[in-house]
Amino acid sequence: MIAFVAFSLRRAWQSFWRNGIMSLAATATMILMLVLLSGLIILLTGLDATLNYVQQEVQVVAYLKDSATTQDVSTLEASLHGMPQVTQVSFVSKDQAYRDFLARHPDEAAVINSLPTNPLPASLQINLRNPNDYLDVATYLNNQPSVDRVLNIQQTVDQMVTVIGILRAGGAAILVVVGLIVLFIIVNTIRLAVVSRADEIEIMRLVGASDAFIRWPFIFEGALVGLLGAAVTIGLLAVGQGPITNFLSDYFKVLPVEAGTTVGRNIALIVMGTGVGIGVLGSYLSVRSYLIR
Amino acid sequence: MQGVTKSYPNGRVALRGVDLTIPEGDFVFLVGPSGAGKSTIIKLLIRDELPTKGAVLLDGRDLGRLKRREVPKIRRKIGIVFQDFKLLPQKTVRDNVGFALEVTGARRREIDPAVDRVLQVVGLTGQADQLPAQLSGGEQQRTAIARALVHNPRLFIADEPTGNLDPLISWEIIQLLLRINELGVTVLMATHNAEVVTAVRKRVVALENGRIVRDEVGAAYHRED
Repeated sequence: MIAFVAFSLRRAWQSFWRNGIMSLAATATMILMLVLLSGLIILLTGLDATLNYVQQEVQVVAYLKDSATTQDVSTLEASLHGMPQVTQVSFVSKDQAYRDFLARHPDEAAVINSLPTNPLPASLQINLRNPNDYLDVATYLNNQPSVDRVLNIQQTVDQMVTVIGILRAGGAAILVVVGLIVLFIIVNTIRLAVVSRADEIEIMRLVGASDAFIRWPFIFEGALVGLLGAAVTIGLLAVGQGPITNFLSDYFKVLPVEAGTTVGRNIALIVMGTGVGIGVLGSYLSVRSYLIR
Repeated sequence: MQGVTKSYPNGRVALRGVDLTIPEGDFVFLVGPSGAGKSTIIKLLIRDELPTKGAVLLDGRDLGRLKRREVPKIRRKIGIVFQDFKLLPQKTVRDNVGFALEVTGARRREIDPAVDRVLQVVGLTGQADQLPAQLSGGEQQRTAIARALVHNPRLFIADEPTGNLDPLISWEIIQLLLRINELGVTVLMATHNAEVVTAVRKRVVALENGRIVRDEVGAAYHRED
């Protein structure tokens, strides 16, 4: 058993270097495809983070009656905190609303100052875990005695949820399609490398080599191509990490700082797994067509 | 072979009801025009193909009933060489011969003496470390013969072994096959080489259109009536 594994590994290593051009072609294709794949994953991760951020920004705004007491407000706030759909509740007082208004519309200062009292209501701004829960929370608020009315942005929320859904599904679809193309191209290149050695396989069959003895050296060789391709790809990504991170934070602005390392590690794992997996699969499929007779 | 018929998926019928028995230790020439079915008989014997009808028995075993994993074991009882030698160009003579044992899981200390022994039989001890490209055609064929012999086969099959060689070298190869036969190995040689067949006067099986048309012991390449 050990002798068999040693034999297979040695043969894989030898034939990888002896068939330099084919191995190079397979490895280069592997690198190209893995870089393409990881680039896509990086972009989609950025998109996903952006979508998550946008979703979290959906707020229910409830204007409070002027008659509501501080006691009423804190009771309401507490009950909102108790709802599973709610992540955050912040209270904006009448004074705060007034200052916000002035800051946003400095030209209108004269208008609002000409009024005898502050016409702006106090409000509660509620952040949601999931924008789909908008209606639940809005309905609950509308039934509260201290709430005057709830700002109705249901339509906007619905549209946003639809657009985000489409973007997510589109991203996933592109990833699947590109993934399949990558798989196909790499498997084909490895197949070429195996086909170029059809003579060797034929001789092995004729002298009575068992299927395992024929198959495993090729599988190890495929794994070697995958390993090498993945290592180079990860190296390239590591070199490009600085610019990539800058690009991402410039482009998407909203990525949390720690996302970089997590994403980096995930991509390294995906690249390594895909590389070795496809290498092995490609060799297995290619040799199989010679063994089944 | 008992009542063997072989037709290929493209509809071509290569063998029609062939009965052929080769006793152990025999030396048989398989002759006939191209397409007569010589190659098909060889493919059936190494179980590269299965008969459409009838049975091929080797050493009492029906090749059509073998399990997949038993096929390699049967093939180790057969040594085979071809017109185009089928040597691996990057390997030396020694490694080409040793390869046959290596891929069946033999250990290094079993391989080396076995390789030395067969290289001696075919007379290539001096060329053991050369690459196939540095050898003459005859030496390449002798390397292939050594590789076919290294398993100590019971049956030795040669498919047009002299097809690419000039007459003098061909004659050397035949002498070698006769020696192998003298060592007790059954030899089956498919050939077009009339001169050789007529000269050695062994059993001749002639095929035409997938049928055996002549089976004579001590015969010539052509019918002598």
